[in-house]
Amino acid sequence: MAARTRLPLQSLIHKNGNVFRSDRIVHTAIQEPVYPPIVPSLTAKSKSAKGRQIAEHLDKVRAADVQEKLTFLTRVQRKKYVLCPQTFALNADKWYQHFTKTAYLPGLPEKFIVDETKEESVPDTQNASSTIDETAFADIRSHVCHSILQENWYMKKRQPFLQREQEHYVAPYLRNLVSGLTHAMAKHNPVLQLSSLDFDPQVNFYWMRGQRTIPRGHRGGRVEPIRFQIDDKPHSQIRIPHQLPQFVPLEVVMSAEVPEIKFAPDLLPMFRRQYENNIFTGAKLPDPGCYGHTQFHLVPDRYRRDKMAKRNLNDQIEVYLRANGIASLFAWTGAQAMYQGFWSHEDVTRPFVSQAVITDGQYFSFFCYQLNTLGLSMETDAGNPRKNVCWGTDSMRLYEGVKDGAVVGLDDSVLKLLVQFLLNRSG
Amino acid sequence: MFKETAQRLKAAGPLLAQTTLLKEVRISSTHGGSSVHGHRYFNVTCSLCAKVPPRKKPRVKVDIPGLERITYGDRMHYVPGLAKPSFPTWVRDWNDPSHYYAPKEEEMPLHKEKPCFIFNQRTNALEGVRQALWLTKSKLTKGLPDQVLSLAENEANQIENQDERVQNAIRHARFWDTTEERPSREKFCMALLRSLIHLCGSLQVSHSGLGRRILAEKYSLAATWNRGEDLFQVRGQNGLLLNSIAPLPVLAGKEEVQSTADHVLETFYPISPTIDLQSVQVYEEQNHTGFKEDYPYPHAHTLFLLEAGDTPVTLLPEQLRAKMIMFAFGNALARAHTLHGTKPRVLEQPIVVQSVATNGRMFQYVMFQLNTTDLQADEGVKNQVWVENDQLLYDFAKVHPLIKKRVVQIPPGLSGYKPETFQKFLSLYLHGAV
Repeated sequence: MAARTRLPLQSLIHKNGNVFRSDRIVHTAIQEPVYPPIVPSLTAKSKSAKGRQIAEHLDKVRAADVQEKLTFLTRVQRKKYVLCPQTFALNADKWYQHFTKTAYLPGLPEKFIVDETKEESVPDTQNASSTIDETAFADIRSHVCHSILQENWYMKKRQPFLQREQEHYVAPYLRNLVSGLTHAMAKHNPVLQLSSLDFDPQVNFYWMRGQRTIPRGHRGGRVEPIRFQIDDKPHSQIRIPHQLPQFVPLEVVMSAEVPEIKFAPDLLPMFRRQYENNIFTGAKLPDPGCYGHTQFHLVPDRYRRDKMAKRNLNDQIEVYLRANGIASLFAWTGAQAMYQGFWSHEDVTRPFVSQAVITDGQYFSFFCYQLNTLGLSMETDAGNPRKNVCWGTDSMRLYEGVKDGAVVGLDDSVLKLLVQFLLNRSG
Repeated sequence: MFKETAQRLKAAGPLLAQTTLLKEVRISSTHGGSSVHGHRYFNVTCSLCAKVPPRKKPRVKVDIPGLERITYGDRMHYVPGLAKPSFPTWVRDWNDPSHYYAPKEEEMPLHKEKPCFIFNQRTNALEGVRQALWLTKSKLTKGLPDQVLSLAENEANQIENQDERVQNAIRHARFWDTTEERPSREKFCMALLRSLIHLCGSLQVSHSGLGRRILAEKYSLAATWNRGEDLFQVRGQNGLLLNSIAPLPVLAGKEEVQSTADHVLETFYPISPTIDLQSVQVYEEQNHTGFKEDYPYPHAHTLFLLEAGDTPVTLLPEQLRAKMIMFAFGNALARAHTLHGTKPRVLEQPIVVQSVATNGRMFQYVMFQLNTTDLQADEGVKNQVWVENDQLLYDFAKVHPLIKKRVVQIPPGLSGYKPETFQKFLSLYLHGAV
């Protein structure tokens, strides 16, 4: 039929006189796809079906609200490595840096002025917000001295039980120090007026980093992520409703590298257990104080300097403090980020910052942590250039000792650093 | 170490290694803080947790004068029919602390004929506040004095968003402080008290006097006085003490103090006022505030007592108020004895001590003014006590709602918050610094 009705095209064109009609393509309206998109099956026993199941699960998690997200991510219990911030393992700080993808920088960020020299004069170029006037500092100094002396000199106490000296002498003095400092600094740092101070809180974090091939069993040969859990109990912590400002921009390239540990975590030693996967900043989700300011950690009796020296572990003193700082702060900042809805597949859009002070009563070490990425799992870590950063100092002695009702050798620089830590605020 | 203690510790040794399991068992028992003895634990053998039998009294050897005992001591072996020889007790020539035999009570160096009645932290006084008033020779006034209550009503002394912040503190202590469903009473009681103290301390921005205070945990008190024919003491650790550099201002003026002399103390015959107090014959008359002489914060400001159910003794509110009065009195008396000596006298400058007790929901407030240390006779100037009973901070803090017949009786979360209770807490805290 088409052949019979076919007419020579040229004759028609010439007839109508449309020789110079341009042949522009006229766009018609976009047509709705008539058939649904072709996706792999959801229930078939195939790799693509498994891939689709995983993708649907990730979408479901992304679409959920924060409480449900946390439930989704922590619901399934499997064997996981328990990472103890206060660990007996030797050289644990490198391992913990690898597990948490943290670059360690000795010293503190520029905003904290560490007074290395013994000069009394304060340079004029200092930022006014990072120092306080002399009378307030004298009040703080006297309060600190009185706290030390109350526990070691003035109060009538019986002898402490064996291996419980820290709990007997140092823990109450640290509580007084923290609460006294917070109240004194509230005048200069308004965010501390809205803060909550927790004593003996709990901080938990659960994450996955790296992968391993299951060696034996019915799931042998398959690749599974390595799970970690931190259950930390700091001595005290300050939580605030507003976030602390970042130390460095999110995408900055740091000079320090994250150490690469090729061994399995078992060799540290680290042990695997299966129990509840907790993600906890110290308070549940509805609490307005969802961001962290400063944590205070007490070194237990076993890791005191004299006890470590007796076991010939003098070089491990600083290593222990670093490992404690990195692990505790990673757990706290990670939990804070997860409370805001970020997780490994939805990486943080702003850095989360917290501080920690680790002390055994006499020696203080200061740590600052900036969480730049939560994407540590095997899928998200591959192309992730970001890394978390931890700044830390060596331990600095606050005072030499207590003699005849007076504190001997009180170091003002350590107190100044404590004051600066507590003065840190946004805006 | 005492032989008995060594035996008990040995019995408890393997159990101490399994504290987690024991804690679970202990929680389910009816009273808190029970010992391991006398209960069945299926994870250890019965012999480890059996009750330790009481020490048997040694048989008294009666020596009849004039009657010579013929013993088999010379024969060097047992002979039936002859008496058992008694040899002198062998004493080690050096002091071995793990083999120490305590002397009998009558032979101890501090033994006295006259018994002493001690009020300690475990005392559960039968007559409660009445007994405490009689023992401390005090007159009771219900309600706190107006000059103290007006402190928190003043706008300048209030915290920013006070109600909201206190309610958040209560919610944090009661709901949000743990990964489990709800924290235990010991935990939330202490957390709530610490949060409230932290909130009140944030007023240091505007009131610098609040900085001249310090908290002391686990301090030990000792105060002794004569009342009637008996000797009384207040001893031991009790709670958290807030010490301050400056003393608290006097609540009742001189005329009111003199007028208390007309007040007659309430007795509760036939019950003796010494009931439920620990009666000891081995004691030392001590008067000690718990701190050295040159302590920079010598004045006891507020005593915080917690009734969280973690001690063997659970105190009812009446008995808790008695404990508050006794320990506030003990602090004031120890201070008075340190300042003026132990001779009984009427104080020109009365000493004021406050006390706050809570079980996590109900608060009791006590203010004690020590006017006189002359407590022997029933007549004369009396001390004064102001008490606020049973102040609820909130009605309910429930994790799950209470639903009866498909009607919500009590909603979930915090309900029935009462701001007046916190106002009184704040006024007691600010007293002396404003």
